[in-house]
Amino acid sequence: MNELLTVAGLAIDVLTREGPRALVRDVGFRLNRGEALGLVGESGSGKTLTCRALVRLLPSACRVVAGKVTLSGAGDLLAMDERALTEVRGRRVAMIFQNPTSHLDPVMRIGEQIAEGLILHQGLDRSVARRRSIELLDEVGIADPAHTVDAWPHQLSGGMRQRAMIAAALACEPDLLIADEPTTALDVTIQAQIIDLLRRLRGTHGLAVILVSHDLALVGDFCERVAVMRAGRIVEAGETAAILAHPRHPYTRELIGSQPRLVPPGHYFPVSGAPAERAPRVKLGGGAPLLEVADLVVTFQRPRRVLDLVRRRPATYVRAVDRVGFALASGDALGIVGESGSGKSTLARAIVGLVTPSAGAIRLVGDERETPRYRRVQMIFQDPLSALNPRLSVAQTLTEPLIVHRLCRRAEVATRVAALMAEVGLDPALAHRRPRQLSGGQCQRVGIARALALSPAILIADEPTSALDVTIQAQILNLLIRLRAERQLALILISHDLEVVRRVCERVIVMRHGRVVEEGPAERIFAAPQAGYTRELLAAIPGTRGFSGGTPLAWQGVA
Amino acid sequence: MERFRFLIWRPVQMLPVLLGVTLVTFVLVRSLPGDPVRVLLGPRARPEMIAATRHQFGLDEPLPVQYLFFLKNLLAGDLGRSIMYRAPVFEVIAERLAPTFLLIAYALVLSILLATTFATLAARNEGRFADHLVRGFCTAGLGLPGFWLGILLIMLLSVRLGWFPVSGYGETWLGHLHHLFLPALTVAIALAPVLTRNLRATLIEQMGADHAQAARSRGLTEGEVFRRHVVPNALLPTVNLLGVNLGWLIGGTVVIESVFSIPGLGQLMVASIFTRDYMLVQGITLVFALTIVAVNLTVDVLTVALDPRVVL
Repeated sequence: MNELLTVAGLAIDVLTREGPRALVRDVGFRLNRGEALGLVGESGSGKTLTCRALVRLLPSACRVVAGKVTLSGAGDLLAMDERALTEVRGRRVAMIFQNPTSHLDPVMRIGEQIAEGLILHQGLDRSVARRRSIELLDEVGIADPAHTVDAWPHQLSGGMRQRAMIAAALACEPDLLIADEPTTALDVTIQAQIIDLLRRLRGTHGLAVILVSHDLALVGDFCERVAVMRAGRIVEAGETAAILAHPRHPYTRELIGSQPRLVPPGHYFPVSGAPAERAPRVKLGGGAPLLEVADLVVTFQRPRRVLDLVRRRPATYVRAVDRVGFALASGDALGIVGESGSGKSTLARAIVGLVTPSAGAIRLVGDERETPRYRRVQMIFQDPLSALNPRLSVAQTLTEPLIVHRLCRRAEVATRVAALMAEVGLDPALAHRRPRQLSGGQCQRVGIARALALSPAILIADEPTSALDVTIQAQILNLLIRLRAERQLALILISHDLEVVRRVCERVIVMRHGRVVEEGPAERIFAAPQAGYTRELLAAIPGTRGFSGGTPLAWQGVA
Repeated sequence: MERFRFLIWRPVQMLPVLLGVTLVTFVLVRSLPGDPVRVLLGPRARPEMIAATRHQFGLDEPLPVQYLFFLKNLLAGDLGRSIMYRAPVFEVIAERLAPTFLLIAYALVLSILLATTFATLAARNEGRFADHLVRGFCTAGLGLPGFWLGILLIMLLSVRLGWFPVSGYGETWLGHLHHLFLPALTVAIALAPVLTRNLRATLIEQMGADHAQAARSRGLTEGEVFRRHVVPNALLPTVNLLGVNLGWLIGGTVVIESVFSIPGLGQLMVASIFTRDYMLVQGITLVFALTIVAVNLTVDVLTVALDPRVVL
């Protein structure tokens, strides 16, 4: 085989005030021409650092302390001088990144960013480089390349930005593309398109790819070989199919077990490699609904400029939520699924009362004066860190709602806070920590405890795990499943991840452009989707190849 | 061009602002104790002479009537007559306009040169000796009062070394530049540190930005990344800061012109306040206000030109 890249004994330190700390140790792998390697791991596992070290673009506090990175025809990249490196970057090894928005220069036209490598390093004429940019944009599937070449990054959608970034990376015909979480910031259908594009480019350009991802299913679809990283080391590596079917390392097993698609409905997500446990049955209310939403409309006014006022142009509105209706009984779990911009978060905010609906009704059972809305509906948020006041400790955060709403006497506050922390599985020792000193999972537990402090009957979780790693996601979802059963909570789970929703909720609403496109029992929707859009969403879920063969691992322990 | 449409409307929107400026100046200057006619005629003037002169300038009318007259004349392009100079305010101001604007432009050019040089030097050498040196200069420059520094520069460069004139404005263009160097430098030493610190910080921030990292990954050298991606992105905040400071600078010429005896608007403003020359004070304030409006408009145009995302 034709070897392209060999990494051996790579070690990276970060310089801290207390001296150097090891982040990556003894990482090694080989990559042949045209091959795809998946680098899988959770945040902090060192996968991104490893990739950046390959082209020596580490953050300034990090240093490569040992190792060799040999690129065929170029020698050891780690021993090269800066000048020679610029010859490798872009021409031999190119990179694309997680966030195409921040990785494109906002004040430079798309075409110029694609062409600059061609002009500066291959000495191409401006007009020739421009023509090449248009060709590249066409190749990455941009519908109107002759027009897009002169567009600014902010005029493109997220998916188009990622395509433009791929075009810029491919401009100088590299042999290796390092793709660092290239689809994490994108919607699931766009994600599928980008992955298809990368697959096609591998074929046409003979491109080798290192795909860095936390998403094992995605890697399983795309890569022939995979390396699993944890705490700066590769714990397991080999053929993708073999590893997915017979993982040897316990961490790999945990990672695979946490994949929502492998968890049977009505079960807890397996944690630390243990088989999935059956979740307690929830008594479904069935009878009188707790919450009724009827023909709900939420509109936002587009900003008006002075000129519009002068010319008496009428204000224009966007319908974020368009005639949505559903009912929720005690103990129900309703999943709301849709891509960004579908209005699912606005719907949640309207129910909690954070935005005012323009039309329609939100009816909550019970007397508003006796128990106001915020005592009956509570929400937990997507970004657990920014949803907490950074200046308040955990105990202070949980005390606040109790005091403000006079739910208990001062003397009882401490015991109530301790009970809440215990209920969401927070170590009492964390009571005086501030959000920044907590992990993402711990922050989300605080957010859940804060919502529970008011003993709501309905809990709305807006993408509660999309900022978290898979194993942490499993823990948080397990917590929600348990709380729902213990407290007879009605749960509304908003997610872009259909597999998660399917495992937690009995009923699902699919939203698009503010409207409900499909509604029904979760199992029916997944087995026989009616709306074209639902089918599209389901088809876009990664993992349809990697996990397809044989019985999924996690099901084996289930009777 | 669509994005520059605001140029049509912005001046119209500014009219109420300018109207407010005239009203505030009118009221303030008349609420000062003292009377221009008494200053003009001296302490031994006879009451009938005072009354006659007051009538001549329309100062015996009720205040609202005086204001409406002022506005009426303004619409006809007439700023009124200066009581002290016994000449149209417009002519008095026109004579003094050039030195002040030359001084401001000169100081601006020097500040920008100093700030871009030092900020680039500091940002490219972050945390190293050059950076610390630049930051030291900035702190020192911010701490020194302008008039004191001006006097110090006169003593050293003019009196001791005789390189620059002590005061005045000069006769020829070259003479102007020679005469105004020290006052412009004095202003620049106060202004440049503000700009340098801001520009240094945004340059460093942009050097670490994701898009700069992406450009490096495409094989651009550090210099190319700096020139093509870092600088264009870093200019925006500094341009806006410069706009704010330019307003302050226009007011600051009053002190500098006094220290260096430059026959400009600032000096004229001080003199006209002392003599309670109502019409002249109103005229100069209006010119200053117009200048600041123009500066803000320029900053808006630059912002729109530099950042494709901005829509005004």
